[in-house]
Amino acid sequence: MMKSAFRTALVLTTTVCHRSLNPNPITLLSLRTATASPPPNSTTVTCRKIHCNSFSSSMAGGDSSPTVAAVEKQFDEFRNRLEESGSLRDRIRAVATEIESTTRMMYSSLLLVHQSRPIPEVLENAKTQIDVLKQLFSSLAEIVRERPGQYYRYHGDWRTETQQVVSLLAFMHWLETGSLLIHTEVEEKLGLNASEFGLDVEDYLIGICFMSNELPRYVVNQVTAGDYDCPRKVLKFLTDLHASFRLLNLRNDFLRKKFDGMKYDLRRVEEVYYDVKIRGLASNKGESKEDQTIEES
Amino acid sequence: MLYSSASLHRHFYLMAPKPQLIRRLADSTMQGTTKKSRLIATASASPSSSMKDYFSKYAEYLNQFNDKRERVVKASRDITINSKKVIFQVHRISKNNKDEVLERAEKDLLAVRDQHIARLVNELQGTDFWKLRRAYSPGVQEYVEAATLCKFCTSGTLLNLEEINSMLLPLSDASLEPLQINILDYILGLADLTGELMRLAIGRISDGELEYAERICRFVREIYRELTLVAPKMDDTSDMKQKMDTMLQSVMKIENACYSVHVRGSEYIPLIGTDDTSYASLGMSSLD
Repeated sequence: MMKSAFRTALVLTTTVCHRSLNPNPITLLSLRTATASPPPNSTTVTCRKIHCNSFSSSMAGGDSSPTVAAVEKQFDEFRNRLEESGSLRDRIRAVATEIESTTRMMYSSLLLVHQSRPIPEVLENAKTQIDVLKQLFSSLAEIVRERPGQYYRYHGDWRTETQQVVSLLAFMHWLETGSLLIHTEVEEKLGLNASEFGLDVEDYLIGICFMSNELPRYVVNQVTAGDYDCPRKVLKFLTDLHASFRLLNLRNDFLRKKFDGMKYDLRRVEEVYYDVKIRGLASNKGESKEDQTIEES
Repeated sequence: MLYSSASLHRHFYLMAPKPQLIRRLADSTMQGTTKKSRLIATASASPSSSMKDYFSKYAEYLNQFNDKRERVVKASRDITINSKKVIFQVHRISKNNKDEVLERAEKDLLAVRDQHIARLVNELQGTDFWKLRRAYSPGVQEYVEAATLCKFCTSGTLLNLEEINSMLLPLSDASLEPLQINILDYILGLADLTGELMRLAIGRISDGELEYAERICRFVREIYRELTLVAPKMDDTSDMKQKMDTMLQSVMKIENACYSVHVRGSEYIPLIGTDDTSYASLGMSSLD
């Protein structure tokens, strides 16, 4: 008996920390003692039988006020808790909106690559915003820290914005290094602590799909501007990326849809590559066994 | 957050290369033996193979998570089906068999808890509790509906969230976080309860138990009234809005039925011993 009562109290406190919206455990505990709760064991059935009789006898009379009061108390509690979570959500949305406007600014700077501005110059501008992003994500993490374990309760409120951030950072990384920015690198750039407030794997993958959408347009404009080497590089990268994505067993969801779109990006880049190759516009410098394999596929 | 450190360990352990799988995929994605041998080599060999290494990690993570989601969905479905059975059982109530019906219902409810809700305890540890909510919420709502219905029929009171959660504590041992129904699923389940209580009230009226029906009427009215302030603040407001509309319809149906009985007074003859499911005598055209 003692052990189960102790455990119940212990668990209740833990419950309050993990699942409760109310950071103040005292209120919940007093609510618990206020309502008559049946003991969670085999004596329940006997208790219920007694209740049954009292119910039929009280049916004739009006509402018993303690019952109504208890119900009201519970709903008051609910209202308070939901108001708290609602205002938390509002604060999250405010930060997410700022993230969105920052990414919009970065995107507008990055778009200059389509106009053949030199890459370092373009990246310089966009990079200055990364610190802003770092700060914003840190604010997000701080807010969510108030509700331990509830990252995914509010995740929808920053999901799209995060995917856009991943897409931009990956594109910038590719412009700079020609390689794929990996999941943990994104977390590092944004100052995210994976064990506390990390980057969701699906958000990362969707963000990468968004990035791939940028590549066909980039390749087309680069060729127009006279860079005939670009298609080969992009084709190799996108082929590898697409092949890597094929390792995933995707369900029929949004990620799957985005991945399916990547195939059209790849096709477009292939077209540009062949256009350039056929006309002998690309230099033979840097060709290797890899490129012969690309031609075979 | 993303995955607990325990599962992170598992990831890297499982990341030990699975040559057969990678070889098979290499065949399908690229031609040429040069590619094949490169893939099976270590990660540092080339950028493309390290990309694939990372992606096989992501694949592992997604596979595990999707498998878990599948299990949770199955458990949720079973909870739904068996909770509905409890509800049907309670509807069998008539003037003379309350105790047996309710005893059986309580037993069945306990079975739902022990056989099906128990399956959720392991799966919903840590961040998965909220991440997988869409997978298990329907089942949990149905369970709340069944449990609150039983409690009302037995004692005339509302089973509150703390009580229902204390009933779940025996499911987890000390090493695990106990499975606790969250406030949103409880409220959504409560909203569905009013629909069942409407059916019960109509059934009781045709059985001649007018006071029972009036009791239900007062109870449901109060719940609706309380929920009007809570509904707009819920995480999923659009779901709840729908349910509030339906709830009001249920409340009004019960009120109208009680009114009909009240107004007709002596005209109303309780049909003893028959199951009159045509409610034309109550002035209602249909139940829905």
